[in-house]
Amino acid sequence: MDKQIGVFVCECGPNIAGNVEIDMLLEAAASMKGVALAERHKLLCSPDGQKFLAEKIAEHGLTRVVVAACSPKQHGPTFMGVCERAGLNPYLMQMANIREQCAWIIEDKEEATRKALRHLRAATARVAHHAPLEKLEIECNPDVLIIGGGVAGMQAALLLASGDREVYIIERSDSLGGAAVQFEKVFLAMRSAAEMIAERAARIKANPHIHVLTGCEPQEVVGFFGNFIITVGRPEAEPQQIRAGAVVVATGFELLAPEALAPYGYGEVEDVLTSLEFERMNASGKIVLKNGQAPKSVAILHCIGREERRYCSAVCCLYSMKLARYLKDKVPGAAVTEFYSDLCIPGRWQQGFYRQTAEAGVEFVRASGARAIEEGGRPAVKYVEEAGKENSRTFDMVILSPAMVAPHDAGQVAQMLGVEIGQSGFYAEEHPKLAPVSTSLEGVYVAGCAQGPKGISESAVQAGAAAGKILSSLVPGRKLETEAKTSVISALLCQGCQTCLKVCVYSAIRYDEAKDVCVVNEVLCKGCGNCAAACPSGAARVKHFTPRQIGREVAEILR
Amino acid sequence: MKGARMATAEGLDRAVVDLASRALKAGAADCVLMPVEVPAGDSFAYVLVRDAGLLERARALPPVMPVQGARALASFTGTMAGKKTLAVLRPCEARAAVELAKLEQVKLDSVTVVTCDCPGAVPLAAYLADGGELPAWTGEPTARPICRTCDHFTGGGDLHAATLGQAEGSALLVPLREKGSALLEALGLVADADALAWEQEAAKLTATRREARSKAHEELAAEVAGLSGLAQFFGNCIGCHNCRSVCPVCYCRQCYIDGDSWEAPAAEYLGRAQNAGSLRLLPDTVLFHIGRLAHMSLSCVSCGTCEDACPADIRVAQLFGMVAARTQRLFDYEPGSDAECAVPLATFKEDELHEVEA
Amino acid sequence: MAKVLKVEGGVEEGLRKLLFDLLDSGQVKGVLALRRLDEKGAAAYSLAADPATVKDILPFHPLMPAQGGRVLSRLTGTEGFAEPVAALVRPCELRAFVELVKRTQGSLENLLVISCTCPGVYPLSASLDGGLGPKLETYWAAAAENEVPDGLRPACTACTEFVPYGADMTVSLIGGRDTEVVLNTSKAVEAVGKLSGEIAESNGDVKAIEAMRAERGANRKKLFEEDSAVHGGLDGLVKLFGRCIGCRGCREVCPICYCDLCEFVSRRSDLTPEGLQADLSGRGALRLPPGTLTYHLGRLAHMAVSCVACGQCTDVCPADIPVSTVFSRAGASVQGMFEYLPGRDVDEPLPLTTFRTEELAEVED
Repeated sequence: MDKQIGVFVCECGPNIAGNVEIDMLLEAAASMKGVALAERHKLLCSPDGQKFLAEKIAEHGLTRVVVAACSPKQHGPTFMGVCERAGLNPYLMQMANIREQCAWIIEDKEEATRKALRHLRAATARVAHHAPLEKLEIECNPDVLIIGGGVAGMQAALLLASGDREVYIIERSDSLGGAAVQFEKVFLAMRSAAEMIAERAARIKANPHIHVLTGCEPQEVVGFFGNFIITVGRPEAEPQQIRAGAVVVATGFELLAPEALAPYGYGEVEDVLTSLEFERMNASGKIVLKNGQAPKSVAILHCIGREERRYCSAVCCLYSMKLARYLKDKVPGAAVTEFYSDLCIPGRWQQGFYRQTAEAGVEFVRASGARAIEEGGRPAVKYVEEAGKENSRTFDMVILSPAMVAPHDAGQVAQMLGVEIGQSGFYAEEHPKLAPVSTSLEGVYVAGCAQGPKGISESAVQAGAAAGKILSSLVPGRKLETEAKTSVISALLCQGCQTCLKVCVYSAIRYDEAKDVCVVNEVLCKGCGNCAAACPSGAARVKHFTPRQIGREVAEILR
Repeated sequence: MKGARMATAEGLDRAVVDLASRALKAGAADCVLMPVEVPAGDSFAYVLVRDAGLLERARALPPVMPVQGARALASFTGTMAGKKTLAVLRPCEARAAVELAKLEQVKLDSVTVVTCDCPGAVPLAAYLADGGELPAWTGEPTARPICRTCDHFTGGGDLHAATLGQAEGSALLVPLREKGSALLEALGLVADADALAWEQEAAKLTATRREARSKAHEELAAEVAGLSGLAQFFGNCIGCHNCRSVCPVCYCRQCYIDGDSWEAPAAEYLGRAQNAGSLRLLPDTVLFHIGRLAHMSLSCVSCGTCEDACPADIRVAQLFGMVAARTQRLFDYEPGSDAECAVPLATFKEDELHEVEA
Repeated sequence: MAKVLKVEGGVEEGLRKLLFDLLDSGQVKGVLALRRLDEKGAAAYSLAADPATVKDILPFHPLMPAQGGRVLSRLTGTEGFAEPVAALVRPCELRAFVELVKRTQGSLENLLVISCTCPGVYPLSASLDGGLGPKLETYWAAAAENEVPDGLRPACTACTEFVPYGADMTVSLIGGRDTEVVLNTSKAVEAVGKLSGEIAESNGDVKAIEAMRAERGANRKKLFEEDSAVHGGLDGLVKLFGRCIGCRGCREVCPICYCDLCEFVSRRSDLTPEGLQADLSGRGALRLPPGTLTYHLGRLAHMAVSCVACGQCTDVCPADIPVSTVFSRAGASVQGMFEYLPGRDVDEPLPLTTFRTEELAEVED
């Protein structure tokens, strides 16, 4: 039976009609293979236009539709909706972009028309080979698992816990709070860190929908968005299985490892501490040197590890100033000098914080290559002045502000979850600008320092973003729609080489050992096409982008 | 390095057959895969043998290589269910087997590979017409062109029977990998003889061959420069795809170019003919070869089976070997040398290939 | 009496002019024929659309680098030509194509088929290194003298179906000294009517055809008698196909083998653990890759009924196995059982898919 293709050319007001000879397109379309009718309309996306389209589909029993108009990114979903409501599978529609790619960019009307004709022929040839596609609907579990009970984890939990979803926090250590438990105060207001954590922890404890498992770590994650099963290892007990629809990775950070700090004098020179070690010393109440005496001069070195890590750790400048303030508070007689290469203090109040710190008597020295060395049995800071001259100054104590790095086992956890680690070692977000809290694996989100160095406020904001994403996409009772244009692997042609599996970033392919073939999980597959491109025999192909469909389209473009 | 002395008074084939028989008897192997003379006596085929008696007409190094040993391995290792196999392969076949293992087409876990120093093979067509002997290392009979520039003629297996640098009537069984040592132990053989003579001889010959290979590649590269050069090279190609079918690395059940993606209505062929004035049929001759190069050159071991199978006398192996040398160099990749080194095709490194960036 | 077009200038020049005129006048939009690749006689099929390329056409050049039936099937298998195209194919190529059309693997729509009384072709090997160039003069001379040229494919020397069935035009290449193009159909007469050239009536050289048929028939008898596969039983087959390297080239080039994925290449034919055990315990050994003979016998079972004895399979075999002799002999036997000649008539149903209650009594007990 001949396909009944309906071709509709939109004038888009003067946008297309003004620079493309629409009648020419209609004439050509009418004689194309399989085309039952070719019509024009002033504005197809308008209510009137959509009604027109729907009526024509019904009237002529069209089995395929071509809409020559604007970009599919603009109104693809619109016309797909029209088709669906008119009883035609929405994937049996193809758009030809004769506005952005023709009318709007080519001055000469004849040339624009010629190009539009190519697009139209290509779309018409392609649509003849379209097959109806269906999205799957799957039930989802609205509960959420959060890995990491630090600032980000707690914030996310509080936002997510509600009457209709349960939240599980699994925390490796014995208590909630993350790295912040080591701080006495938090900048900029210099409020008590312990109070901040306690307040949140109390709210969490009081909330019947949040379940905290301390001393626990994730062991295995199977499933997919809406249906994860996480096996959690517990101390002195059998592993527990938690079912959740989404996972938030809030595993925080570690500081640059001691070995990496050795070049800066750590472990080599006496009384050289890391920032966290100093926080703990400060929290214990007594700031003293190894010899038990109070320091009279302290140097704080910024940017430790920036060269090697190739990123700015975002908060070191500010917390270095915080540490200086601890010193001014607790050891008023001590001279405090901060050695910095650049001051990274964006924000409305950060500049003020710096000014106040300087006014409190903290010396700021701009230098490069600062590191602690031993000089006459005492620590000293060797550095290169702004002017370029090398210099060194002795200090009683040197505090290093090292960069934040991802936890040492981030790679393993990432692999367990099926998400990527970025070049810097932190969890890779799906898109730095457009999708900063989701990962390449749908349903797994990242928040806080696990995604990159940031302060407590930013961590809280990011946790909120992750929670928001989950609240809007994982709705109790609402079924999840999957991608319709997924990949499919021919069992007849597949040789089980698993090349596709190796290049799938969505963990959507599994190897069936019994049949020696690879199989696509339609729920996880996003139709990116990596597998189809990598498969040497063409056993893997993406629905709606089959070689034949693309081939017909390209053949007409080139004719 | 050390090896165990093996007497080859009655020839290498006899000695290897004896070794294989002993392995069967000792239970070190449940079966043996070896080339055996076919019933008509006019060629050789790989046979998987359970009874040592059937190895009477087996050869370690037949004068020809009608079927690539790795392809033979791929056809059955998936069904072995833990049974131990001793496979006697040429070095290029052993290397192809390693590549196929990486591509999940061969299971080498229970296979112990025995290789021999290989002087090459004679062209299949010539052998089928006139018979012949194993090529000499130098002089007559000459090996196939691809063999004459082979720099991987030694090693490759778990246990290697070295004849280079050894006295007449004697070979050295050198364990190259753990399974090789295990086999020697199971046979009660001790690797106590020095292998230096073999190493030196092999190194010397490798250097000579490497030079010859470079030169051959240079000349060929000049000949096939540009699309017209390639079209000329493949002028007589009839599109039989024999080269693909016999290639051990081409494991696809159906070649991409034979799939239905390429089917087109008559009008499209006519359209192509109109665009260019005329269209050669069957179409896409050069595209097939370029596509095959793109898909398999990283794992090409220059075994030459493709050239043997070509009915149009096209120097396929020589061309593919030349291109493969380049693509492999790009990734610093040596096929078949390290089972742990993944094929670059499915490996992503963010920091690489700057030399081909704009 | 049949209408014939007398062609001046001999086979090459004369036919080229005809093809040029057909293309240039727009009567056909394309011409499928063998085209010169170099000066040594190498050629390949080509679809010519520009009349300027006709000069490189070698009409009925004695080489078959690809089976014309397979080429036509590739062109028209998805959808037939929408505009007229002339195709120069040999009788066995046309028959093969007709067999494919019966299986919906091709379309005769809009094709102007120009075939010939065929003197035969050389094996592919004859066209390499040195080439066919030197042989051409002898070839055409022999054909003109109604002799079988030396050095042809064995399949050709033994071919008795060298007169085409169902062609629009038949070029007489055998016997006679003038090149006549017999116009078999009204389509042919119409196409030619618009061009210049003398149309006459002719009886053709029936005697020459009969003599050639007798000579080739005798060759065929001899070839089949010498076929070791016939006399050797299973052992004979094992010996003959012993040197098969499993390249499946015979299947690839065969026009009748149209399957996308051959049964004997698919997973269904793979070795199973049970199969391996059975072979090892039963026979103590197993040749690998497995299924050498199964493949050949299986292919035979599938295509023998339509085998047109073109000889492509023998030509492509790197192991020099006379596949065509074995297959065409079995084919002739099977075809004889059903009184069927492949490609004789596009409306003649395939025995494979035709059921008759009254038949094959001879193989009943």
